[in-house]
Amino acid sequence: MDNETKQKINKRYERELNRGERFWPDSIFKDLIVSLGIFVLLIMLATFIGVDAQPRVDPSDTTYIPRPEWYFLFLFKFLAIYGQIPVLGKIEWLATVAVPGLVILVLALMPFIDRNPNRYYGKRVLPISVMAIIVVDIVMLTIMADVPTVTENGSMLPGILQAIAGMVIPLVAIILLFLMTFVFRKTSTKTMIWTAAISAILTIGLTGGVLAWFPVPATTETAVATTLVDQISAGQDLYSVNCVECHGDDGKVTKIEGVKGLEGKLIPAINSTDVLYTLDDATLAEVIAYGRPEAGMTPFGKAYGGQLSTSDIENIVTFMRYTWDDRFEAPKLKPLYPPLAAGEVPSYDVHIAPIVKRYCLSCHQAGKQNNNYLMDTYDDILKTGDQAPNVTAGDENSTLLKVIEGTPIPDPKDPTQTLIRAMPPNGHMSPDIINVFKLWIMNGMPQTAEDAAKLSVTPTPGAGSTGTPATTPTP
Amino acid sequence: MWKNVYEWLDERLGLNDLYKNLLDRPEPKGNWWNTLGSAALFLFILQGVTGIFLTVYYTPSPDHAYDSINYIMNGVAFGWLIRGIHHWGATLMVVVVFIHMLRVFVTASFKYPRELTWLIGIGLFLVTLGMGFTGYLLPWNQQSYWATTVGTQIAGSVPFIGDFILKVLRGGSDLSALTLQRFFSAHIWMLPAALAGLIGVHLYLIIKHGESNFPSKED
Amino acid sequence: MSDEGHTGRNEISRRDFIKVTTGIVGGVIGLAVGVPAIAYLLDPAFKSGAKEAWIPIGKFADMQIGQPYAFSFTRVQVNGWERTSTSHGGFVIRKSDNPTDTVIFNSRCTHLGCTVNWKADAQAFICPCHDGKFGINGKVLGGPPPRPLDQFTDFRVTQDGVLEIYYKES
Repeated sequence: MDNETKQKINKRYERELNRGERFWPDSIFKDLIVSLGIFVLLIMLATFIGVDAQPRVDPSDTTYIPRPEWYFLFLFKFLAIYGQIPVLGKIEWLATVAVPGLVILVLALMPFIDRNPNRYYGKRVLPISVMAIIVVDIVMLTIMADVPTVTENGSMLPGILQAIAGMVIPLVAIILLFLMTFVFRKTSTKTMIWTAAISAILTIGLTGGVLAWFPVPATTETAVATTLVDQISAGQDLYSVNCVECHGDDGKVTKIEGVKGLEGKLIPAINSTDVLYTLDDATLAEVIAYGRPEAGMTPFGKAYGGQLSTSDIENIVTFMRYTWDDRFEAPKLKPLYPPLAAGEVPSYDVHIAPIVKRYCLSCHQAGKQNNNYLMDTYDDILKTGDQAPNVTAGDENSTLLKVIEGTPIPDPKDPTQTLIRAMPPNGHMSPDIINVFKLWIMNGMPQTAEDAAKLSVTPTPGAGSTGTPATTPTP
Repeated sequence: MWKNVYEWLDERLGLNDLYKNLLDRPEPKGNWWNTLGSAALFLFILQGVTGIFLTVYYTPSPDHAYDSINYIMNGVAFGWLIRGIHHWGATLMVVVVFIHMLRVFVTASFKYPRELTWLIGIGLFLVTLGMGFTGYLLPWNQQSYWATTVGTQIAGSVPFIGDFILKVLRGGSDLSALTLQRFFSAHIWMLPAALAGLIGVHLYLIIKHGESNFPSKED
Repeated sequence: MSDEGHTGRNEISRRDFIKVTTGIVGGVIGLAVGVPAIAYLLDPAFKSGAKEAWIPIGKFADMQIGQPYAFSFTRVQVNGWERTSTSHGGFVIRKSDNPTDTVIFNSRCTHLGCTVNWKADAQAFICPCHDGKFGINGKVLGGPPPRPLDQFTDFRVTQDGVLEIYYKES
């Protein structure tokens, strides 16, 4: 750049300064208003959205789908699309290092590449158009980051469409713009702007199409227990489902009964101080994860082919500590289900499911000896079982209700034999829980809390009450 | 009384000179787009302050990182707020720095005499992304663990020296306590130091050359 | 270079307004971060770790009259994300057959908190750190301790004959 141009620029800037403002307080005031806006936005985000609790690290969990911080998602998607390209897609470093590196280099050296002294937008159509195309592409790649490139039945169509939207269209448009500037030369500004705009519209439209045609697979969000109370409860539920069958609900079983293949096996009571004082948390967790295969305990940790994640096992250990280890004091735990108000009808979601999880699911899940009566979902509770239905709305003599009340069901062919034992086999249900089941069955077995609320009778106020009901018209 | 104190301080600190040179500067007519730089600075300071507060409870070890974050979120008064601001502040900072860069690009403010300001700005953008990348691992949860596994793997795909880079980043061939510790160190010492230094030069250059005016047809 | 003067007094009051607003906005942001931050920093000081429980320390019948019976127990406290188990110990001294006629000392020296030991030949509790010396009644016999050994004053004997002390963390 020659000195003449520099002087011209400096003079021009001087003129701008003369009709400008002062840094303090004019600019600072604007800056502060924006900062305040950002600050308020941050407080809102922190308060109303917060930070999601994520599960503990579990290197053994191979099913976990890694996901970068959102501002790297576009690179993530770019890589995924690039990887689908035959031959070239195998040379990974081109996409991971060369392309991003080149883009950053060009960006950094912009002042030395773009030597045109003009600053007005109309005189810089090429760089602004190219940048616009790239920015639109980055945004679109981010938006479609979660759409898989291959459908479940193996179709490559989504990947191809994404490649067209996210790579081909922008690339072609950028090449065209360069050709217009440096090869055809005479192209009008309007044509260039239209090229950029059309490519952007095509990219956006195709992204919209991809999102519409190929839905993002639903990710199962598992609730993460973060407080001690939640961790203990989660641990107790997991214990109930996975451990109760052999160890009993209080961990004091020393001789296994009623478990196929392990009948009569002698085991140490896991609620004893022998176990709890001598095994630290890590050891307990490892015993649960690896099991004691030689002693008949199968592995439970995902690392060894079981079902439980590190977080799950950690919660079981926490439950054991705070329940049986007398050096620990348990915090006040939440009730298993919210207590029922007078006239309130319990629902499956709120009341029955947690009870079933704690007392029944241990055996009444697939793969256990249970007369094929599965209790893991609402529908299964109603429909499965060798003697289905085990429970009928409004029927006080439903099998389920009878057995938890402690009355075994006799075999109709031979009344001296029991067909179904009283449940649960190693204990009694508390009268409260039996009452919840009874209310639920007698009131039509509502599934959701809303259904139950419709069936509930609100006790009529008035009788003896001194307050005036809001609906009563005043004379 | 106050006047005397002020004069005493001014004699030694040069407050009047500072005021004249730093605050009472003439500027071209302002535009709201010009506030993005200071918004980024504001976020940097906010991230610094909340980050410092987080280290009061956070423990960078695989055994305790997760639990200490959990404690910040559930056990400490306003811990959720401090971490919430830090978490969302990171997101916002990346957005603001990026838009700031776009604004400078579109108004061609990187041209003479502000080439160096731009170059340093790109450095600031990259370091900001580096802050995001290193900070993401620190909660040591599933998400961060696996994202960093993949992220470092990407850096490891550089031809010839990839394996070396991977080991440098991870502090060994696997993601481990060493990785967490060095990401922590980078996140709270090295990168912020680099960021602060670059911001200093960036600001000096802005004061030296003044804020650029929005281009009109004459430019 | 200056734009001042073209609107006179209005301009000045506008500037003052901007200055005041700027100050207020800055102050608000500072307070909104500062106040929670102070609460965040001081939080552990406001946590009451007070836990209480009845701790079984042994068969009452095993404790001989007039002979200090040493016991210890461990309590686990959760401090933030870390569990700290602290051991406590003490001595039971039965004075007669009457269960209530029993004194239970905390073995922590009242000087600087070391653990005292019963030395039968000296008939005294000796602190290994600074040679504090307590009699079988807990009174200071010599050395730096400022006051007698602390006692567990709440205790009971259960139906199974187990002596339990009431322990409260401070």
